Amino acid sequence: MSDKQKYIVEMVIFLFIILGIFFLNIIKKDEDISLAERRKLEKMPDISIDKILSGKFSDDFENYSSDQFVFRDNLRKIKNIFHLNVLKQKDVNGYFIEDEVIYKIEYPLKEYSILNASNKMNQIKDKYLNDTNKIYYSIIPDKSYFLKDNKKTHLLLDYDKLITIMNENLKDFNYINLFETLEIEDYYKTDTHWKQENLLKVAEKLSKEMNFYIDNNYEIKSAGDFLGVYYSQLGILGIKDELKYVVNDSIKNSVVYNVEKDKEGSVYNKEELTSLDKYNFFLSGPTPLLKITNNISDNQKKLIVFRDSFGSSLIPLLISGYKEIYVVDTRYISINLLGNYIDFNNSDVLFIYSTLLINQSSGLK
Amino acid sequence: MVFSSITFIYYFLPIVILIYYITPKKYRNLILLISSLIFYFWGEPKYGILMIISIISMYIHGILIEKFKKTKYSKLPVITGVLLSIGILFYFKYFDFLIENINLWLNKKIDTLGIVLPIGISFYTFQMISYLIDVYNKKAKAQKNIIKLATYIALFPQLIAGPIVRYSDIEKQLDNREYSIEKFAKGIRRFIIGLSKKVLLANIYGELTNAFLEYNDGTVLFYWLYGLANMMQIYFDFSGYSDMAIGLGKMLGFEFLENFNYPYIAKSITEFWRRWHISLSTFFRDYVYIPLGGNRVSKIKWVRNILIVWTLTGLWHGAAYNFIIWGVMFGILLILEKTILKNIIEKMPNFLKHIYVLLIVMISFVIFNGESGNEIIERIIGLFGINVTGILSNTSIYYLQSYLVILIIGIIGCTNLIKEVSERVNKKFNKISNILEIFILFSLLILCSAYIIDGSFNPFLYFRF
Repeated sequence: MSDKQKYIVEMVIFLFIILGIFFLNIIKKDEDISLAERRKLEKMPDISIDKILSGKFSDDFENYSSDQFVFRDNLRKIKNIFHLNVLKQKDVNGYFIEDEVIYKIEYPLKEYSILNASNKMNQIKDKYLNDTNKIYYSIIPDKSYFLKDNKKTHLLLDYDKLITIMNENLKDFNYINLFETLEIEDYYKTDTHWKQENLLKVAEKLSKEMNFYIDNNYEIKSAGDFLGVYYSQLGILGIKDELKYVVNDSIKNSVVYNVEKDKEGSVYNKEELTSLDKYNFFLSGPTPLLKITNNISDNQKKLIVFRDSFGSSLIPLLISGYKEIYVVDTRYISINLLGNYIDFNNSDVLFIYSTLLINQSSGLK
Repeated sequence: MVFSSITFIYYFLPIVILIYYITPKKYRNLILLISSLIFYFWGEPKYGILMIISIISMYIHGILIEKFKKTKYSKLPVITGVLLSIGILFYFKYFDFLIENINLWLNKKIDTLGIVLPIGISFYTFQMISYLIDVYNKKAKAQKNIIKLATYIALFPQLIAGPIVRYSDIEKQLDNREYSIEKFAKGIRRFIIGLSKKVLLANIYGELTNAFLEYNDGTVLFYWLYGLANMMQIYFDFSGYSDMAIGLGKMLGFEFLENFNYPYIAKSITEFWRRWHISLSTFFRDYVYIPLGGNRVSKIKWVRNILIVWTLTGLWHGAAYNFIIWGVMFGILLILEKTILKNIIEKMPNFLKHIYVLLIVMISFVIFNGESGNEIIERIIGLFGINVTGILSNTSIYYLQSYLVILIIGIIGCTNLIKEVSERVNKKFNKISNILEIFILFSLLILCSAYIIDGSFNPFLYFRF
């Protein structure tokens, strides 16, 4: 190719790209949500003199033009592949892949956040709990914990320090150590969370420590493929998971009452399988307060669980041991309101939080 | 509006190019002016009017300078015009700094006004001054057509981050520009290279400097990573912006002078400043240093002249002491290089000359980007292992590993190696290298678009200039 031809080709391709994409962006119908990124996309901003003069219109338009850009998903994939495989960066916006498992960096350890989490737990104990309660707490390691013996350099939390701070501040709580019970295989490759079908050993550990019954007659079913929240952030490779769930008689015969929505439902919500986050299948996802009633229980035991999203898949496995389980997420309900809905007397109380929440606990009310 | 945005590349640019080239030549300046004003208003809606007022003032002053040329009042319009331009710049950029200093040194408690710096004001003010002085010195004629003059000032490729284009360099191009496919294609190439420097290099180094600010654990390795990433971010961001400006200029038929010439391969600080932000250093040379007498004065006055120029250079970059220290430091170094250090540097082996320049420049940019004196000192002594927590840490090793490839690419990119190799390859294998060039260029454009879309870190570093 001669220089002259090169100039012509360069000009034609450049104009074709910028004009072509301009017209494609104009013609293309705006989308409401991005399935790949699991979020709402920006819409064309309204124009007003105030918005233009304040610069808000131009800011909103920048976001809109980026969100609604044609080929957005493919370009994101190209970026991530280039970033990880060509530039050999160890993470993309904090996400990275190790042995076909996607991780997110949680770093550094925030001591103030750990203190805050333990203080909130102590506040609940001081306000509602007494001698009639047995109080337990447990910490769920995030996936990165299992990289502690990995030969490569990673940014990891100081997990020992985290546990030490928690233990020092929660002296009246019985600590149940799950760190040695779990393995990386117990977590989804493409999501933050753990797999319910692997949690029977966790349920057994809790049942031993807390002395409640576990139904060992269960069936594991599949709810299809699952691409978790980490997958959508990275959007590359053929890594995927399968969403499996555990069914036993207690789970089948329980009713879940959602206090906020004043609505009864079942332990597993099949409607959520078509939602942006399939993990919400377990106990219908994030919600302030649930009451699970086990209609075939032969005891009157009551459990109150303070939890984060990891609890959604674990708690169904505990149902067989109790008549009633209250599931509380204090990110969405104030501690002060709990007395209106829960009688705490004569109940087991379990606080079970992931290291992710403990290290980012500002959301706890 | 910034060049490295979807709005610019895929909305503004195609519309402007399309309209510009279907419009008859005699109306193209008007198209450029309108699009430049939209470009400016998009990012700075409040102060667009200030720029327009400044342009009108400059237009009137230019005509008055010519009118009073042979009278005893010949200096009056140039003085008022320049003072007005500097006055506006002073108010927006330095007034609060002045109040802070009055409070500090005279123990007063005057409230600052919280003045926001209009984007690009330092660049367009200097262009206005160059116009007025060039007309006064008869290097250029006063422009009677306000659209042409306004186009010169507001020309969007160089409006918000330079290069500082002198009126005398562009006067003829405002009347008559040459268009060719070759020029357009070279403009595309330059634009994409600049965009890649900004998006694929500078922004990624910016992420590393941010990681340092967030996770600095006081190890020597982390201080060096910061020093290196910081100097590379500034260079690739700034020179990338200049490349984009020059490239866009070519696409529109203009030829702007070069603004950077591989400054990090310089063997002395004097040479570094011949290669770094050339349009600014030559501006100060021609409009401040030489009028003060340059080096054709006594040694004391020469030292004074250099220190004035470099204090002003520092202040031009921002109204804060670190910029003044940064400028004065270079002033002193330039004086030393021309006196005491002259023989020593000349005798040094080349690699030592490079180390000397790069170390000084690295330290200078630590000063440049420092928020406080303590912070600056901590980072500089940290480079030399003083007051550190150790040599390495898990965190600093992580970032070294993560950014190693991009740092190596950047180090190579700071030299003229790629240029020389590609020129040689092009000479030997012209046909293949031309195809390769097309492939690389458009791959880069796609990659840059992908990085911009993914909402990666994309700062605008010139808000304080």
